[in-house]
Amino acid sequence: MMKPTIWQKNISILLGFVSILFFVFAAFYFSKIQPKMIRFDAITTTEEGLLNWVGVGLLFFLAFCLLSLLRTVQHLKKSSSVSFLSIALVIMGVLALLFVFSDVALLGDIAKQYRHGLDQPEWMLVYPIMGFQLFVALVFTYFHITGFSKETQQEFVARDSNIYLVVQFVGVVCGLMGLVLASLGFVYARAWSLVVHTTMSSIILLFPYGLAVAYWLVTKLREENRQWYDEKQLLDVGKSAFLTLVVSVVFMTALFIANYGNLSGVISIIWLPLYLFFVLFLFSASNLFFAGRE
Amino acid sequence: MKLGNRLREFRFQNNQISQQDLANAVGVTRLTILSIENGRFTPSAFLALKIARYFNVHFEDIFYLDDEGQEK
Repeated sequence: MMKPTIWQKNISILLGFVSILFFVFAAFYFSKIQPKMIRFDAITTTEEGLLNWVGVGLLFFLAFCLLSLLRTVQHLKKSSSVSFLSIALVIMGVLALLFVFSDVALLGDIAKQYRHGLDQPEWMLVYPIMGFQLFVALVFTYFHITGFSKETQQEFVARDSNIYLVVQFVGVVCGLMGLVLASLGFVYARAWSLVVHTTMSSIILLFPYGLAVAYWLVTKLREENRQWYDEKQLLDVGKSAFLTLVVSVVFMTALFIANYGNLSGVISIIWLPLYLFFVLFLFSASNLFFAGRE
Repeated sequence: MKLGNRLREFRFQNNQISQQDLANAVGVTRLTILSIENGRFTPSAFLALKIARYFNVHFEDIFYLDDEGQEK
């Protein structure tokens, strides 16, 4: 019977090729449909039907990203050290995963604006995002075929430190992206929606971090003589928590004062994501900083 | 004043045991052993005693008070 790791590898390679073919198809399809939509020409039923395949393709790519991240983290779990390449792969995977949701949102907006006879500036974002996703699909597929980096693999790791570091890196990426997104509320205050931009976007941006924390929890639950943190990690987490507490109080107070004249404005619906992502970013970044002081 | 140590020396004298193997034996992460060796982290008395017991030596054989060293 085939080992689960062999299955994972084969499925990853298959999904990788499907994703690459999908992005090639999407580029071709969009290049045909975009000029028509910009000119508000009628699009055929076949062309409209093909849009469903874009959705299916994105689902395949989402599955590919999740499996690729899982394989990367599994490799890292017993690596003798966390290399720059492995972390770059994790960050790229997380970004590509998050961009799947932005693809859906952008394409949805484009379709809506076309129907209402409005301009579709979102096309400017679709191509670079999908280009990046194609690049990620190519890189991960390459690593799935050739094998991940050749760092020394430990036979046994009693107390995890690598997954802990990966969680912090994912926290930094998600926190930073969330901060940028929530800050856009100040720029597009009139168009900001509580449901879509504040609630849904925050949930989506927290999704990779949630997955990373869940994987870390599973790793911890499987350890014999379980201890959530060893004494150095506990000290680092304590220092990070204190720093985060102090800085976040200053940050939120400054935000309150800066918006004192308009507290019922957009700040009333973006203060929570701003706080959440600021805390996530700062806590994760300071954990990395203290862990790196070896 | 800081707590100095000869941990690296002891690892090499004992079959060049890796940081990971020592970490597994005393129940901490590899990064913690690395931090102790580099003098960036002062272990608790409990951990220091576990390390000494692992090498079958007295606490003072591995750890010492370094009067001239600065806490990093």
